[in-house]
Amino acid sequence: MDRTRRRVTRREILQDAALAAGGFALAGLAPEVWAQTPKLGANLIGRLEGPELVRDPAKWPKRFGEAPMLAELVKQGKLPPVEQRVPQEPLILKPVREIGRYGGTLRRGFTGPGDSENGNRWVSADKLLFWDYTGNKVMPSVAQGWLLSEDGKSVTIYLRKGMKWSDGQPFTADDFVFWYQDIYLNKDLVPTPNADFMINGKSGSLRKGSDTTVVFEFPEPNYLFLDILAGSTSMGGGQALWQMEGRTMGAYTPAHYVRQFHPKYIGKDEADRKAKAAGFDGWVAYIKNRWDWRLNPDLPVLTPWKTVTPINNPSWVMERNPYFYEVDTAGNQLPYIDRIVMTLAENLEVLNLRAIAGQYDLQERHTGMAKIPVFLENRDRVGYDLHLDPALNGSDATLHTNQAYSGDPEIAKWLQTADFRRALSMGIDRDQLNETFWLGIGVPGSIAPAETVPYSPGPEWRKKWATLDVAQANSFLDKIGLSKKDAEGYRLRTDGKGRLRLELMTAAGTFIPQTQIGEMIKEQWKKIGILADVKEHERSLFITRVRSNEHQIDMWANDGSEVLFLFPRHALPVDPVEANLGYPIAVWYASAGTQGKAPKDPELLKALELFRTANGKKVQERYKVAQEIWKILVDQVYSIGTVGQSPATMGVRVVSRKMGNIPERQINAQHCRTPGSSQPSTFFFKG
Amino acid sequence: MWWRFRRHKLAMVGSVVVLLFYGVVLFADFFAYAAPTASEAQRSLLPPQPLHWLDGGFRPHVYGFSGRRDPVTLKRVYTPDPAKKIPVRFFARGFEYRLLGLIPADRHLVGVEGAAAEETLFLLGTDEQGRDLWSRLMYGTRTSLTIGLLGVTISLVLGVLLGGVSGFCGGGFDTVIQRVIEILRSIPTIPLWLGLAAALPSSWTVGQVYFAITLIISLIGWTELARVVRGRFLSLREEEFVMAAELAGSSQARIILTHLVPSFSSHIIAATTLALPAMIISETSLSFLGLGLRPPAVSWGVLLQQAQNVQALAISPWLLTPAIPVIVVILAFNFMGDGLRDAADPYGH
Amino acid sequence: MLAYLARRLALAVLTIWAITVLSFVIIKLPPGDYITSYIAQMSASGGFVSEAEVQALRREYGLDQPGYVQYLRWMTMVLHGRFGVALEWKRPVSEVIGDRLWLTMVVSVAAIVVTWALAMPIGIYSAVRQYSTGDYVATFVGFIGLAVPSFMLALILLYLGFKYFNASIGGLFSDRYAEAPWTLAKVWDLARHLPLPTLILGFAGTAQLVRIMRANLLDELGKPYVVTARARGLSEWRVILKYPVRVALNPFASTIGYLLPYIVSGSIIVSLVLGLPTVGPLLLRALIAQDMFLAGTIVLLLGVLTVVGTFLSDLLLLWIDPRIRLEGKQ
Repeated sequence: MDRTRRRVTRREILQDAALAAGGFALAGLAPEVWAQTPKLGANLIGRLEGPELVRDPAKWPKRFGEAPMLAELVKQGKLPPVEQRVPQEPLILKPVREIGRYGGTLRRGFTGPGDSENGNRWVSADKLLFWDYTGNKVMPSVAQGWLLSEDGKSVTIYLRKGMKWSDGQPFTADDFVFWYQDIYLNKDLVPTPNADFMINGKSGSLRKGSDTTVVFEFPEPNYLFLDILAGSTSMGGGQALWQMEGRTMGAYTPAHYVRQFHPKYIGKDEADRKAKAAGFDGWVAYIKNRWDWRLNPDLPVLTPWKTVTPINNPSWVMERNPYFYEVDTAGNQLPYIDRIVMTLAENLEVLNLRAIAGQYDLQERHTGMAKIPVFLENRDRVGYDLHLDPALNGSDATLHTNQAYSGDPEIAKWLQTADFRRALSMGIDRDQLNETFWLGIGVPGSIAPAETVPYSPGPEWRKKWATLDVAQANSFLDKIGLSKKDAEGYRLRTDGKGRLRLELMTAAGTFIPQTQIGEMIKEQWKKIGILADVKEHERSLFITRVRSNEHQIDMWANDGSEVLFLFPRHALPVDPVEANLGYPIAVWYASAGTQGKAPKDPELLKALELFRTANGKKVQERYKVAQEIWKILVDQVYSIGTVGQSPATMGVRVVSRKMGNIPERQINAQHCRTPGSSQPSTFFFKG
Repeated sequence: MWWRFRRHKLAMVGSVVVLLFYGVVLFADFFAYAAPTASEAQRSLLPPQPLHWLDGGFRPHVYGFSGRRDPVTLKRVYTPDPAKKIPVRFFARGFEYRLLGLIPADRHLVGVEGAAAEETLFLLGTDEQGRDLWSRLMYGTRTSLTIGLLGVTISLVLGVLLGGVSGFCGGGFDTVIQRVIEILRSIPTIPLWLGLAAALPSSWTVGQVYFAITLIISLIGWTELARVVRGRFLSLREEEFVMAAELAGSSQARIILTHLVPSFSSHIIAATTLALPAMIISETSLSFLGLGLRPPAVSWGVLLQQAQNVQALAISPWLLTPAIPVIVVILAFNFMGDGLRDAADPYGH
Repeated sequence: MLAYLARRLALAVLTIWAITVLSFVIIKLPPGDYITSYIAQMSASGGFVSEAEVQALRREYGLDQPGYVQYLRWMTMVLHGRFGVALEWKRPVSEVIGDRLWLTMVVSVAAIVVTWALAMPIGIYSAVRQYSTGDYVATFVGFIGLAVPSFMLALILLYLGFKYFNASIGGLFSDRYAEAPWTLAKVWDLARHLPLPTLILGFAGTAQLVRIMRANLLDELGKPYVVTARARGLSEWRVILKYPVRVALNPFASTIGYLLPYIVSGSIIVSLVLGLPTVGPLLLRALIAQDMFLAGTIVLLLGVLTVVGTFLSDLLLLWIDPRIRLEGKQ
């Protein structure tokens, strides 16, 4: 088939324009960062690399190739030829090492129907925009280009001509309009507007520009929205992630398919009848089931692989999408791998043991840091490699002080005293924690993200109040009025009710052994005369206690906080779903002051106000705002950082030596949907 | 009865072992030589230290050591330093404690000379946090065995009382009690534990949780005993001697005490000695599921739970040592019960 | 006799009703609900939920209603033969359980067979040859199973299997058969995976039965009728097997009804460690996720099985030990 291409596409111009207008760009990961990585484990942390987007039209392939399993179907006439399946302007990726071979089944482990992210992250190529493998540059994905208006009030998305759903139907702007009109604006499906699609409490809107252009509009400047579209947010996170588990976001949906379950198109009675016939209570539950990619093999998707055996089975099986929009530099349609088979392992030890025994081809999820020596011991015998991918967030085990605690007035008072918190922070020996629980691989410090992130307030803020200094901690505590001690050296309350006892809440079954870390911190705090009771709870009880404002100090990772504006909840009390720094404050913030309780602390108030202004700021100013917020958070120590920038969460990657195009190191960050930014569609079996 | 019991050699051994263990329960602070919480990263996952007995005469000692993390395998490796001999003394001074919770004391079974035991002596090695396993085991023994004893006492009282009433009185009592037993037993224990354990107020202290867990375990344990007791009652009621006593005008209480109880005491003893190990196993299982005692409490279950992972098996198998006392004490209880039962057997053999 | 049976049946129905109430209460006891555990799971795995979604989900699952309304809703469904949708699995409860129920049965029955096969001969032997070396050895072996925590044994065997035999890790099927339709080869694959879990499970229960068997048999062996029978010159083994063994089986019979839930409970832990696709891990997971419908149904199912089992065991008891009267004392 003869296909002509424009030598210079509008997309190229648009991308450049967008970057000039304020496309998100993290500073490059400078070489000195690698010099700074701790010696331990350094041999397992390779060079950050990944597939690159081919922007130069001169290098674009002229012909297309396809997997043998699809070629067979084409021969049988069950599938149109590959030239008609890929868009006229596919996304062209240069694999990290070589052009791969087609075929093979990738084996992985998953822990059950709740482990959706295990698959979601692998198919995150259905996001509108994405981050490249460095995590510092927005790149096209489903959308081939974008334009952020000068006033920040609109973002235009340019779709690919000829792009198709996995069932061969065209993917157009109408799929966005359908989502907006019939899902987002339907009160039964979306009862309240979504914060990601709002600016200062006012809703945004969406309209069709042409068949291949979609415009998002806001009543006020919303420069952040481009980041939101590229981030793992409810607008930009893609169909797979945002229309599973009963979710209703994602900005687009296969209108031609979903329509047949929607009351507006078939009438409410018919919609309910269909639902009842399928065993559901009503059309709402049924339609949510139908657009859940993990559960419905019939659902048209844009992802590299689509579900063939749903997640609620002993195996979750995915197979290639014959209409996937990515090709490699030789014109071969991606993905290379035919199938992904995840087998159920309800116990993490079994899962890890299977990974150790080489029963998985690639596993970066649920593999624990504590098992690294066992992986190393067996890797040559079994035949796999171990890669460590350190994350960018500051602290994997963060102590959050509840700034709205009211259960015990005296404790509440101390938790709201900056010098008290600073003393607690300086009373922690982070090197001990690092050596014991992070195998010495982590980076001790405050909650501030890695210095390479443009939001970072600077290296000195990683250390501020975050190094062991028992003498200063003690003098702080003495100074604020906690100078009286009992016979065993523990400080006494000032209201005469005996020892000052803090409660440190931890959650069971987390990636990092929180309770054990808590026990060690408890021992260290003895030296500053502070007694803390470590209390472990089941995870859901942990969340319940946070939501009922019962905790004094709790422990949680601050993953995701490295992209502060896209995922603030682990740094600031702005989202009631997870508000470790105080549920009433988060309610107050989220309800724009109509409910909940305002924080008393002027510094915290200032941080929250700064955060509120960020949406309307352009990228460089936004960096400054973030740095300001981090400075406040680190200086005030509402959250005490311990050890971070480690591979603790999804950073222990076990890869069979049969696999090719595997990056030595991949970006491990919330916004990059690890391994999403490494483009799993380019992984292959060497045969 | 005593001479009959003494005939049973395994039972004698079992009894001695049980007594020893309860000695540890009473004097855990004495048998431990390090505070169970003393942690230190630089001795994380230290293998058991061999105790050397002779050094030109009977001078027990251990070697000093230095440790680091191997940059290639990422394991902690320790090199003993034979030049640095640390003498081990019996009845040495160590951390202060209160004997039986009353008498201030600072003597411990073993200790070292010229250094703090916490930092130098690790007879069973250390856990991930560098805490001495031997000392933790001593405290864990205290927790787990008291739970067992308390639990079995509650079960025994409930079981014999309710089972006896059920079997002897029959009728309405029997029906109600049987229904309750049936309902309790029909619910798989795990959800019952999970529900009750999760419902414990989160503000409770470790001590309160500990007592509550005991109660929960025994709440289920009694049904087994009650059922056995009732079954025996039902059979025995038909025996001629009971009928004869009834005809002779003996009161019910008298019949129970003088005729029925002795005639099935052997069975109760057998069931009780079996129930005690079951309590201990329950405690470890609950902890394994993360439902029982949780760290920072120290019990056999908590210790075993921390050894329940691949890296413990592969790298630090000494973390499994807490299984040994569990196995030993369960066997001991069983042999002891075995002997008691035989000894109490009215028909002798 | 018929009246007795009718009364027992009525009581059984009452018991089952009480079980539904109790299981519902137990599942509701822990604070929070499915939504909180869902949030917990999402936030621990790097996903997230918005507050608006939380409210919507709670409404959708009817979790915003008072407890008794939820119970009534559940009971209405159960009475209509529907067990609801497993919240986490997003599939009808019956389907989710169905897949695993019979595998549980296979494992449990195999474990019970192992238990009995080990316990009966050991029990009889050590009662008859009391205090012999054989008695000590047999008893010791029987008790080892009781003394070693099964979860530990399971993990150790799993690890050793990998380290020294390159065995596939856990489960009841090899990868290749997990999804395959049933064939003879798949049955064989299952059979090859069975010994490890059934031995661990069966071994754990053996000592208890040995102990009871031995104790009861000793009681019986000393009785006058046995002495008489011996005096009449009947062969030793005939004397023992004819009557004392039958009476000694009494507690076996009275506990047979409980064996299933006991084994299932025990198998939760072992299944969890060995990664077996039985209802055990399903139940534990449902309880932790506070998936009311799924956990409730499994508990109810086991409850019904126990009640039926108890009923049968009462009948069996009647047959084995004729001395037990039907009616309570007047």
